[in-house]
Amino acid sequence: MASNHSTEEQRPVRHKVEGPKKHIISFIFSILLTLIAFAAVAGGEINTDFIYIILIGCAILQVFVQMAFWMHMKDRGHTFAIIGILFGVFVVFTCVIMAEYWAWW
Amino acid sequence: MSAHSHTEGQLPHEPEKATLEGRNKILGFWLFLGAETVLFGTLFSAFLALRDQVLDGPKSQELFELPLVALATGLLLTSSLTSVFATQALHMHKVKAMIWWLVVTVILGLGFLGLEIYEFSNYVHEGHGFTTSAFSSSFYTLVGFHGAHVAFGIVWISLLIGQLAKKGLTVTTAPKAYVAGIYWHFIDVVWVFIFTVVYLMGKVG
Repeated sequence: MASNHSTEEQRPVRHKVEGPKKHIISFIFSILLTLIAFAAVAGGEINTDFIYIILIGCAILQVFVQMAFWMHMKDRGHTFAIIGILFGVFVVFTCVIMAEYWAWW
Repeated sequence: MSAHSHTEGQLPHEPEKATLEGRNKILGFWLFLGAETVLFGTLFSAFLALRDQVLDGPKSQELFELPLVALATGLLLTSSLTSVFATQALHMHKVKAMIWWLVVTVILGLGFLGLEIYEFSNYVHEGHGFTTSAFSSSFYTLVGFHGAHVAFGIVWISLLIGQLAKKGLTVTTAPKAYVAGIYWHFIDVVWVFIFTVVYLMGKVG
């Protein structure tokens, strides 16, 4: 009991719980990126390849923001989480490139 | 002790990481998410390879309605925000606030699921059945699999709400709630790629 108490008091800084601010900023950022993506498609008149680049760019950026802040990947102790996800992403890219190659060339 | 307003005076700052079991659950869950990434990746690659094979069925440009997709995206994105608020309430040891944020998350998830069911039934009426073409099969498999994940998440979080209401926030219940939050964000992250790759790129052609 006493030892528990002292360990809690050794790190008082960590008791300052993060506010909702950065999550609301992430949310607004996500909404903006989504709006850009939808507007690029609804707007029409742009070059198709250019729209594709905008779409993929917005998606990757949004996922990066959400994983860093909402899934807490920017916090300490997430090394294995990052390795796990990166390995998954590596396999995904292999699959996608292979499937595209098989389908189009 | 007086610095803490919660009832269980011993609850540590990050109760989900207080026990080895809790930390192992979170690590194991991340490895599971890595596998989920691969699962969705294979479905995405199949869809990308087959999305132009429409046979006599409708093309993606004729089929997709962007306002509906935008509304579904908004619902899921907001539910991701409310679920991160639930995790914040967890870190502040506020069980009541946490339960309410989880309830809001579940309601928004149900709204998303309702829209998807409405959308799918519309498509079937327009002659876009599961076996219509390679495009339709890969579309329903990919988007339906995501919808199934949403449905599973709704059931899971609903059960968690019951458990939190009954047992309160402990070092046992906290990792479950934390992991469910991560799962819900992951579903949202997958949806970002679905609305981009399936709907928006499908609309562009």
